[in-house]
Amino acid sequence: MSPRRSKGFGLLRWYPPRWQERYGDEFDALMEDTLGERPPTPRLRLAVALAGLRERGRESGIVGDSTPPADRARVGSLLVLCAWAAFVVAGSSFAKLSEGFGLTGPTRTASLSSGAYRTVTVVAIVACLVVMFGMAIAVPSFLRFLRAGGWPQIRRHVVRALIASVIGISALTALVGLAHTLSPAQRAGELVSHPAVWYYQVAFIATTLLLAVALGLWTVAAVATVRRLDLTGRVLSTEAVLAAAATVAMVVMTAATAVWWGSIASSTPWFVQGTPAGSAGSPVNVQLVGTMVLMLVASILAGYGVSRGAQSGLTFRSGRRA
Amino acid sequence: MARNRQPTGLRRSNDPPVLILTSLAAGPKHGHALAKDIEDFAGVALGPGALYGAITRLEERGLIAPLETDDRRRPYRITAAGSAALAEVVDDMRRIADIGASRLGLIPGALA
Repeated sequence: MSPRRSKGFGLLRWYPPRWQERYGDEFDALMEDTLGERPPTPRLRLAVALAGLRERGRESGIVGDSTPPADRARVGSLLVLCAWAAFVVAGSSFAKLSEGFGLTGPTRTASLSSGAYRTVTVVAIVACLVVMFGMAIAVPSFLRFLRAGGWPQIRRHVVRALIASVIGISALTALVGLAHTLSPAQRAGELVSHPAVWYYQVAFIATTLLLAVALGLWTVAAVATVRRLDLTGRVLSTEAVLAAAATVAMVVMTAATAVWWGSIASSTPWFVQGTPAGSAGSPVNVQLVGTMVLMLVASILAGYGVSRGAQSGLTFRSGRRA
Repeated sequence: MARNRQPTGLRRSNDPPVLILTSLAAGPKHGHALAKDIEDFAGVALGPGALYGAITRLEERGLIAPLETDDRRRPYRITAAGSAALAEVVDDMRRIADIGASRLGLIPGALA
């Protein structure tokens, strides 16, 4: 550590590099004058960390009005994309939890839960199409970016995501092979004392985490790429509309999942627990609670992203570079 | 209140940007001197994060400007735009303070 940064106590790392370059020395001097020889208190560390993160948020356009309106609109759509990635993880968890519902589930005749389940399914398909369309309209800009020699700028992100995907898909393939050696009841977590079932449960959790990491890294790669693209005003405004549509879809799916849960919990709680039909069981399932929380967080994040885009106040004109 | 929503982002009397501008109105100061002065006249202890967050915003908006220095302790001065913005905020605060004082009967004979 340089003696000129003797009192920074590593707190500057919370700030974005450009800010550190501009204010780092004087900020260190202030810390030095304020603290003397004392180390910073936990409260001061927390306050500086929050201020640094806020500065990062401002610089990236997530909060504040320091960045141009077009950048804020772009960041708003990217926040929705990140929320969508989190929602996909929650949706996968819901799909696993509701496995068998509508086929052999005990509430096949319950119209409310069936309707909620169908709503989640249909809206998920529509939302996937919306997100894919959003990606498709950015392809021409992406190709221009690659032709202009942009690949080295995103290579690290893409390679990392590819490696994670290969590992995740390999793990999934192995998991499917293992699943074929088990009965449906064993795959559902029953007879957990059996070693193969235990291995399957561990492998299932590990594979889920690997796939979630791969999805996260692809999202990071997409964000890193889109931030570098030269998007026209028309593309940005279309992305903002699609982001709003995807957000509405997430909110609808979250509400439908809550209705499905409530309906199932009141009529057939054993289905939520995965216990035999007719047995007593709590309607609360930890995985379902986690799924709902993730859906809610993703919906809120997406809502913020849409409001960020709306706050940018831009009236995009066709063909204008943003 | 519309008058409180100023383009400079200044709102309240204890807003760090308002306190910094008020301090700099008396002359250029660096970070630590600013923090001490603000604590003296307003009783508000601004931490390094809050102080430099506000300094960053004020400099971006052209309300303060850094001065040359050989030291790491860079002083800042208030700009003409900063003085105008501060004058507007002070006027706003004085108007509200006057109304409050008259309604509390602190100004004899005055009616709001």
